Amino acid sequence: MYKVPEHEPDYAFIPDVETPEKNRYGKAIDLLAGNDELKGKSLNINGDNSIGDNPNRYKQHGFYFNADNCIACHACEAACAEKNDTPPHLAFRSVGYLEGGSYPATQRLNISMACNHCDNPVCLKGCPTRAYTKFAEYGAVLQDPDICFGCGYCTWVCPYNAPQLDPVAGHVSKCNMCVDRLEVGLKPACASACLGGALDFGLVETTPENCEQLETQIPGFPDPSITQPNIRFQQQRSLPREMTRTDSTPIKYVRDDQNAKPDPEVKGGQSAYHSAPLSSEGKKMQWGLGKLSSRENPLVIFTLITQAVIGAFLVFFLAPVFGFDAFNATNYPLAFPVSLFVLIGLETFALVISTLHLGRPHRFYRAFNNLKYSPVSREVAAVAVFYNLLGAYAVLNGLPQLFAWLPGNVLGFLQQAAGWLTVMAGPVSLYFMHAIYRIEARPYWNHWQVLTSFYGSMLTLGAILAGVFMIPLLGSTNIDYSGLFDGLMWVMLAGLVIEGFGLYRHAHYLRHATGEGQAAHVEQTITFGKSYWSRNIVFAASAMMLLWMLLMSDSSVIGWSAVSVFVVVAAIIGRAMFYVMVIPTTMPGAFFWKNPLFQDHAREAGLAEMQQVGVQVETH
Amino acid sequence: MLFGRTKKNPIKLTDKGIVEWKYTTCGYCSTGCSIEVGLNDEGKAVSARGVGDADVNRGKLCIKGILEYELFESDGRGRIPLMRDRIHEPFKQASWDEALGRVSDEIKGIQDKYGRDAFAVISTGQIMTEEFYTLGKLARGVMGTNNYDGNTTLCMSSAVSGYKRSFGSDGPPGCYEDFEHTHCLLAIGSNLPEQHPIIYWRMREAREQRHFPLIVIDPRVTMLAQNADMHLAINPGTDVVLLNSFAHVILAEGLQDEDYIKANTEDFDEFKALVAQYDPVTASGITGIDEDTIRNVARLYAKSPAAMTIWTMGINQSTHGSDGVVAINNLNLITGNIGKPGGASLSITGQSNAMGTREWSSCSGLPGYRALENEQDRQDIAEFWGIDPEFFPKKRGMFMTDILPAIETGQIKGLWLIATNPMTSMPNTARIRKTLEKLDFMVVQDAYADVETNEYSHVYLPAAIWAEKEGVFTNTERRVNLIRNVAPPFGESKPDFWIFNEMAKRLAPQGKINFPETTEGAFEEMKQLSKGRMLDISGMSYDKIEQQRGLQWPCKEGEDMGEQRLYTNGEFKHPSGKAKLIPLPFIDNNERPDSEYPFWLNTGRVVEHFHTRTRTGKVGNQNKFSPTPYMEINPDAAKELGIEHGSYVRIVSRRGDAVLLAQCTQRVAKDAVFVPFHFHDCVNRVSLGLLDPHSRQPAYKQCAIRIEPIADQQAAAKMNLASRSY
Repeated sequence: MYKVPEHEPDYAFIPDVETPEKNRYGKAIDLLAGNDELKGKSLNINGDNSIGDNPNRYKQHGFYFNADNCIACHACEAACAEKNDTPPHLAFRSVGYLEGGSYPATQRLNISMACNHCDNPVCLKGCPTRAYTKFAEYGAVLQDPDICFGCGYCTWVCPYNAPQLDPVAGHVSKCNMCVDRLEVGLKPACASACLGGALDFGLVETTPENCEQLETQIPGFPDPSITQPNIRFQQQRSLPREMTRTDSTPIKYVRDDQNAKPDPEVKGGQSAYHSAPLSSEGKKMQWGLGKLSSRENPLVIFTLITQAVIGAFLVFFLAPVFGFDAFNATNYPLAFPVSLFVLIGLETFALVISTLHLGRPHRFYRAFNNLKYSPVSREVAAVAVFYNLLGAYAVLNGLPQLFAWLPGNVLGFLQQAAGWLTVMAGPVSLYFMHAIYRIEARPYWNHWQVLTSFYGSMLTLGAILAGVFMIPLLGSTNIDYSGLFDGLMWVMLAGLVIEGFGLYRHAHYLRHATGEGQAAHVEQTITFGKSYWSRNIVFAASAMMLLWMLLMSDSSVIGWSAVSVFVVVAAIIGRAMFYVMVIPTTMPGAFFWKNPLFQDHAREAGLAEMQQVGVQVETH
Repeated sequence: MLFGRTKKNPIKLTDKGIVEWKYTTCGYCSTGCSIEVGLNDEGKAVSARGVGDADVNRGKLCIKGILEYELFESDGRGRIPLMRDRIHEPFKQASWDEALGRVSDEIKGIQDKYGRDAFAVISTGQIMTEEFYTLGKLARGVMGTNNYDGNTTLCMSSAVSGYKRSFGSDGPPGCYEDFEHTHCLLAIGSNLPEQHPIIYWRMREAREQRHFPLIVIDPRVTMLAQNADMHLAINPGTDVVLLNSFAHVILAEGLQDEDYIKANTEDFDEFKALVAQYDPVTASGITGIDEDTIRNVARLYAKSPAAMTIWTMGINQSTHGSDGVVAINNLNLITGNIGKPGGASLSITGQSNAMGTREWSSCSGLPGYRALENEQDRQDIAEFWGIDPEFFPKKRGMFMTDILPAIETGQIKGLWLIATNPMTSMPNTARIRKTLEKLDFMVVQDAYADVETNEYSHVYLPAAIWAEKEGVFTNTERRVNLIRNVAPPFGESKPDFWIFNEMAKRLAPQGKINFPETTEGAFEEMKQLSKGRMLDISGMSYDKIEQQRGLQWPCKEGEDMGEQRLYTNGEFKHPSGKAKLIPLPFIDNNERPDSEYPFWLNTGRVVEHFHTRTRTGKVGNQNKFSPTPYMEINPDAAKELGIEHGSYVRIVSRRGDAVLLAQCTQRVAKDAVFVPFHFHDCVNRVSLGLLDPHSRQPAYKQCAIRIEPIADQQAAAKMNLASRSY
């Protein structure tokens, strides 16, 4: 049991106050209402099997932040670092700020933020390893670094920067609500340390002494509907119309028009703020190629190869069905099985690469642990199903001699069944792959364009890959290839059209999205503008070329190859942009701490070599 | 659990294995927070927490205190004494005996050859009071140099000087509890949330219980200014005019406390005649504060049943710092706000033991607020120490800021620096380099071997820090608090107390003067010397101090508690027993912005750092909040200059230049920038530091610069990196 210091002042203890029965989202605050079976169990903190005597042990607790009062003194962050012994480059709690107005009528709004132990813990749901648990005790969402394999998906889905991916340790860790302190009735270390009268802690939907508001939002805080966070705010001081961030995220927060309130008769009072992109006026369009490389590079390779492999298999399997005899397996007793095993090899390579994205690749097998909730688990499972079916198909068809003991019709059936199942599993796995990116806190990704992009790539890259297999065979047999490349071109054309249509609608969606989406659109059209437009032009031009060659019956291997090279390069750049351009809906940083611009600078300039600069030298 | 795993896994939280907590006082600023350091079963310091029943901090600590335990094993500590013949040679390790022998030989040699005053000692506000007392005994009673001062000249000497001029003695008359009684708080050039977060917390708690108006006077929109009821964004360097104008309004409208003035002050007529010149209209033209606001604040202050003023470096570090303090005292004297609950002139001090050095170090005189100029004081101390009173000079010698120029011109040949880092802290770094090069001999005594000034030392003595020692600090509200020994000194480093005693043995081998073996022994001497004086500590003992979590002086023998306030009976320390109302004509001698250097340069602290970063620059969880120098610049000014947020810029003054990152913020006026002073090879390459005529404190906060964008950002980044060894 945590030892309460002698003479601990009153402010450090959680007040035992009445709560409403339900929180504003309709969830019971008493987390075990009518469910006694979880009661009276030890949290087993560090092997201690005692049970805390906190009278509200099974009620949802949460932080309370009075934004009028925060002075950014870092006491909460320091207390957290001391309690959890976190290294300088990590923090379970961080203070960032917004600023607005002009001298001397300027205001800085400091925001201290950690985990909000949400009702809808998207981290928990997203985690493929089930490293997260929402406890009935205090409603704490805890994460176990020993289970985590460091995929970082929770850091994508959390809108508050709560999970901290440690590139050194290779795993995530996060705020643990100081449950050891809660067990003895003490507030978490951060809230006890607050010097501004800003950060507090208690039963959710209750106000601390001297506070009166129970707001769910302040400027700079993401839309609470995403996760139903257990944090409440006070913010009464009137703020300037526009509040800007000091970190490099190109977002500002703008006060809603008073007349835009639901009831036009209601004027005055406090208005809410919404995020908006910074003006790109005067900024020049750039290539941004240097910024394309990211921690997500393995995923660029993994997604593209997987899509190509699935697409190529569809071509191989379905082309003969649609009467393209050039693909008939019987024509290539040696090349056909080799091609299948090359596909398997490629996919194996892609899978291995994808594990490099993990902080702890040797724990890759834990990816399946959360099929119930995690899109990552489902994707991994779906790809695994495809991969295994592909393997089964390859063995059944490529090495039929192994199955000579089977009656012919049974083998034939198995061969066909494996093929059709693989054909189905491929696109299904891409659907699950796309679902990973449908993250509310990442508006740039959260659009069906991801699906058209993945299916588009499947068709274009699949057809290209299939074509690559065919080229060496050209001329070496007496088979009629007329129509073969026409067929591939139609597939590629379809892929480009699907992807292009998606991109077109995506741009339209971004222009009307939340500030983060709009800002991402500014990024893609300015910071990466030249790359973005080049990719679009290459796609459009390639589609035109293909169409022209098809309509003019002027197709040639050379023409096809040229288009293919362009398409592949554009696809790689496009996918890399997909990962780096996303602007997450997340907490504002400070000028140094949690400022991506400074972090990049510290790495480039060598400041990061000093551990006390608090910027981890990237290890990828 | 609700959802997640079906089987409950045990929860793993960091367990530091603390088996014992030891009582100390924080070694950073002068708030004087009580800290308990947690030790694990290996005796290693692994944690820190505020002491719940300590009146000062009531269980709270700021970022520096929370992480202070990390200092015991931080980078850059000095492990062993170092020596070399010439400053361009590499250091060689030495034994303590060799190093101390060398230092004493050099001191004797220089003093024999050039006179006793040719060897100067500059100490600090960081070591314990017993150490200050011992050093004072060594410098004044054994070495007999009159060029002995502390770096407190850089931070508090204006407050000291102002208190002495107004009240006849140093000593802040108020206390933190005054926040609980005041009806109006004026904060001038003081940014509590950043500089003294715990005092801010005390103030804020008091203000939440019972709201009182908070008026902040500061050219920058600090966090305190933002949280104030009124922010007076004053033109730099014009505080005295504003304070004179407050007095003008009060006297013109008859709001003064006539009885108090008559009973307890003198020279009222001269004062009245002078402030008559500072009507609000005239003052508004100089200060930039409109006349209505001046009248409003003056009336509010005068009409409050109790009103108090706090200030920090915004007043002290100015060409009229001492005058600023006197002006604050004037305001409080004419409104009767001295020595009563909620009425005070309370200087918010910088260093952990700036007060200790003011009281007991003999820097500005003799121990226990005694003056060299006073024959009786010389007599008393000479008798107590057992030396000839004629050994003492009859007038105090040079201030730190005059000692260094005296080195530059050759009057001083040798220097002993204790826990201070002029290479980073003094204005005009280039001049300091040139100065230190000229010394025949310099010994640097510091906890950190990588302290920048060590570049010019001949001998380096590694000192123990903070709770590696035992002794007392005095805080801003005159509270004496105890540092218990928590950890053994790092490597072969030694407590400063031991080093002074060893030096005494070598410099006064006849042992005529007694140097107690323990700090507690020295404390007993101080108690005897304090009896019957303003700073009477004779009622204190180490155990009693720890028990009470600090005791305020005066605390007379037999008393359980000290007294919260000074001058409660209206009796002051001038020979007349009255306080002086001093007329303060305003002379604007600042280097003002012009067409060539169009910006005001203002400097100050950030909460995560302390002074020259020798400590805080190595604690990652502090340093990361500002790991490299930067400047706050108004975005409109930046736009005109073509400077981007987050890019390197060059600032240039008539002294030199510096490279730092630009942070665009509306906190600063369009013609002003703010640069944190903590970083080496940065703002003090540029600063001017004109000296206050009374306190000799440098005006760090006012000079003129120009700002240039840098085209080659990579080269700038490289240059900056080269200056950042920590």
